[in-house]
Amino acid sequence: MDFLTALHVSGSGLSAERTRVNLASSNLANAETTRGPNGKAYQRLDPVFQSIHMGAQDEAPTVGQSPLGVQVSQIVADQSPGKMVYSPGHPDADPNGFVTFPNVNPVSEIVNLLSASRAFEANATAVETLKTMAARGLDISK
Amino acid sequence: MNLRIENGLSLAQAGGADSLGQLGRLGQTDRMDRSIVGPGGPDKAAQFGSELGKAIGEIDKLQSAADTQADAVARGAGNIHEMALSLEKADVAMRLAMRVRNKLVDTYNEIMRMGI
Amino acid sequence: MRVFDNTLARLERALDVRLVRQNVLSANVANVDTPNFKPKDVDFTATMAAIDGAAHGEGGVSLPTPPTLGASTTDASGLAARDLPIVDVPAGGASFDGNTVDLDRTMVAMAENALQYGASAKAAGKKLAILRYVVSDGNG
Repeated sequence: MDFLTALHVSGSGLSAERTRVNLASSNLANAETTRGPNGKAYQRLDPVFQSIHMGAQDEAPTVGQSPLGVQVSQIVADQSPGKMVYSPGHPDADPNGFVTFPNVNPVSEIVNLLSASRAFEANATAVETLKTMAARGLDISK
Repeated sequence: MNLRIENGLSLAQAGGADSLGQLGRLGQTDRMDRSIVGPGGPDKAAQFGSELGKAIGEIDKLQSAADTQADAVARGAGNIHEMALSLEKADVAMRLAMRVRNKLVDTYNEIMRMGI
Repeated sequence: MRVFDNTLARLERALDVRLVRQNVLSANVANVDTPNFKPKDVDFTATMAAIDGAAHGEGGVSLPTPPTLGASTTDASGLAARDLPIVDVPAGGASFDGNTVDLDRTMVAMAENALQYGASAKAAGKKLAILRYVVSDGNG
């Protein structure tokens, strides 16, 4: 294990959290979207995090001792039903007059946003700490 | 410890000056005196030698103390400021020792340069 | 002739182990939101004790002999390939998604690790500086 591996690991954490922030922002922006890309109401998206073994930048990782980074293995749409609101004049109303609104809860999206940004900052601090360590290591030969 | 190093340094200077003084007295005599050690010479030389030895021992002790502190830090149980201080003391002591050694060597060369 | 003593070798080992620990802690931080992730750590004191024990012939983790003049220095990747005690951190409490990473403790451990790394690096640098001064006849 070396400095580059640790940087790679923290980098993976940073990009995974950024994906989470992006998805939370997308969910918030589409909280009222009744007509999504597939014609139905927007369904909120969740990232699925998965640990992966990481080597240095261009090497294959050795499974036994390499540290675990993180990647977004897939982005799943939340299948829970959205809110049904009775609104017969709405262009997206179904034959019974109900409109399906997205299953987005703005409060929990904001909580996700805050949690993701805290984790992002933690990873950024890890990178800073690593840079300090590397500088001290180089000072040996001053 | 500092006192002993200073003693060693001053004795080195005194020893050097004494040798030069003795050689000067030699030049004024007619007889070749095989012994260039004047009155009180052997005692002074022995004292100087033992002081030097003690000073070197002090430096060694400082180096060992610094090593002990560094070992403790390497083990994960060390006190960081104690380690830094003992390393610095060892460094300064070593520099002083080098100065003394260089002075002694220069003095010796000076004496040897004076032809008889 | 032994120019570089045991203390310097121990400091080098300490630096290697600290770097491995930094990698492991960074991995914990990166996986703070991964479900069912169990955080890991390196027991530094036990690792160094094992390495020291091996150096004195008591078994345990094998170790190259301290470097002599002209020999090559230690191989950091060789340290990682051995069985370093990377252990699971015991879970503090319940967790709703199986992830037991305690972010605050991990950040504190990371800061402490970096600090100790700096101290060991400083000690190694200073010892080498003393040697360098003596070798260069007192002229820097």
